[in-house]
Amino acid sequence: MSDIQSSQETRSTLAERIDPYLAILGPMAMIFLIAGFMAIVEPARYFRLSNLNIILLESALYMPMAMAMTFVITQRGIDLSIGSVAALSAIIMAFLIKQYGFPAEIAVILAVLLGALFGLINGLVITKFKVPDLIGTLAMDLVYRGFALVLAKGLVLARFPELITEIGRGQLFQFLPTPVVIGVLTLIGGYFLLTRTWFGRYSIAIGSNPEAAEMTGVAVDRHRVYAYVLMGAMAGLAGLMLTGKLNAVQATSAPYFNLHVIAAVVVGGTSLFGGRASMLGSFAGVLLLSMMINALVTLRIEFFWQSVASGVVIIISVATYAWLQKKDRDGSSRLLSALTTPDNIKLLRLTGLMLAAIFALLAMGTLFAEVAKPSG
Amino acid sequence: MSSKAPVIAMRGITKRFGGVQALDNVDLQANAGEVLAIVGDNGAGKSTLIKILTGVYKPTSGEITLDGQPLSMNSHSDAIDLGIDAVYQTLAIADHLDPAANLFLGSELTKSFLGFRYLDNKSMREESIRVLKERLGVTLKSMDVATESLSGGQRQAVAIARAVRHADLRVLVMDEPTAALGPQETARTLSLIKVLREQGLAVIVISHSLDDVFEISDRVQVMRRGKNVGVKATKKTTSQEILGMIVGATEEA
Repeated sequence: MSDIQSSQETRSTLAERIDPYLAILGPMAMIFLIAGFMAIVEPARYFRLSNLNIILLESALYMPMAMAMTFVITQRGIDLSIGSVAALSAIIMAFLIKQYGFPAEIAVILAVLLGALFGLINGLVITKFKVPDLIGTLAMDLVYRGFALVLAKGLVLARFPELITEIGRGQLFQFLPTPVVIGVLTLIGGYFLLTRTWFGRYSIAIGSNPEAAEMTGVAVDRHRVYAYVLMGAMAGLAGLMLTGKLNAVQATSAPYFNLHVIAAVVVGGTSLFGGRASMLGSFAGVLLLSMMINALVTLRIEFFWQSVASGVVIIISVATYAWLQKKDRDGSSRLLSALTTPDNIKLLRLTGLMLAAIFALLAMGTLFAEVAKPSG
Repeated sequence: MSSKAPVIAMRGITKRFGGVQALDNVDLQANAGEVLAIVGDNGAGKSTLIKILTGVYKPTSGEITLDGQPLSMNSHSDAIDLGIDAVYQTLAIADHLDPAANLFLGSELTKSFLGFRYLDNKSMREESIRVLKERLGVTLKSMDVATESLSGGQRQAVAIARAVRHADLRVLVMDEPTAALGPQETARTLSLIKVLREQGLAVIVISHSLDDVFEISDRVQVMRRGKNVGVKATKKTTSQEILGMIVGATEEA
């Protein structure tokens, strides 16, 4: 048996040693890039305390959902219904308070439970009726949004009890923004769920190798349902936080929650192909997207460019992770030598061209934005 | 080799799937500290026989005895409780989990804190290192990497360790353990099997590779069209004879 041992004592290369941290290094590098860029271009306005507070508040809204989405995506699932779940839970909560006089404490708990119930429905549709998650949650997105519209019509429900605005935009002990505390707490909870519980362990196993999970006695469907219930509950919480933040809610609230959250999670290194999860990465991803969108606003780039930027960031990160994974399957351990193979030089050239085109478009965007005048 | 007492014996096993007779009156006997190889063409009934032995299927008729006591199994986990486990060709490993997590997948060790039970990663890791070292003589370079970064032989070692982790394991069934491995990894896997034999396990290996069979097995059981064609002591036979039995040439001759 000594031959097995000796061959394993070969020294690990740098690439192997940083590999476990790769997921977090990517978004961190991008965060520093944005921070560095803004430090040169607009330091005064971007790094103002009030602006940093805005970034944190914006990202806090997405943290609970990013936490839950990490589990869903790790299991090779996806949930496109979270925006509607958030809106519908928030609307029902709003009606309970405004029309039926429920105390805020109970309504708040009900909002999260309603979200969990909608998540349970999603999970059952996917596991019992065998509807693929993409179609199932897309269809349920329509259903929940429809119910929200039926209930609220065009109404904007506003002015809520203090508890709800406290959750959405309050300050704990005068200086800690409450939503940020909630968001970070859910992420920490998510980290423990991922590393210390059956649910986390089995989520990775299910995403990594569903057949193996089944063969070793893991209740695959049950744990998939758990993930959707958690997702729904966190979407309900986000709906509640959004309502508190704006002190108003309507049926069309939270339209792009799904793509924003999926983008944050994927940018953070959780693999869409399952099995690879990073809670810290999801946190970094949420922060990165909020920083980027805020940077675009600070640079006075037209609002609609945000959508372009989000899309580009998703493509870049998924492509990078895909390439890195292909590399270690080829067995070439050194990053630099892998980069100089003819195939990859071609790939790099293509990437360079596409990035150049995008930056050209972005530059045009800034030019147009300076021409436009703010309308009052 | 230690004692040759039969650990497990299957007698007169017959299995029908609807109108198809997969097994017809098959016997099997596995002894402690011995490797029994089962060979045969595709569809000869090897896998069906093994699935009956590991509790996945129930035989239509026939009896299985463990240490002379008749037993009945309703599921694979019953078999594991009785000390019979299998390592499948696909290994059933979740590539993104580390080796310790794979070793304990489905039966994790836990700790409890204020009534809240959570996974005890530290003990699972220590126990994995111990099982790999003591039972298989394998030390992995790192217990923190994903299992996908291990070599084929090391992954096999992890899968085997999952079975031998149970101290009361008596019978280990291996389905095509070397089918996906290169020559070097094959040699390592075969030496793992020898180590297990020395520890007094009854090892049953299904293989298509007669070279491997002749290297590790003590007895060879040949199956053909759902029947047991014969059992030979490996030392007293040749691959020519076994091959003839597999294709049915000796019957006509």
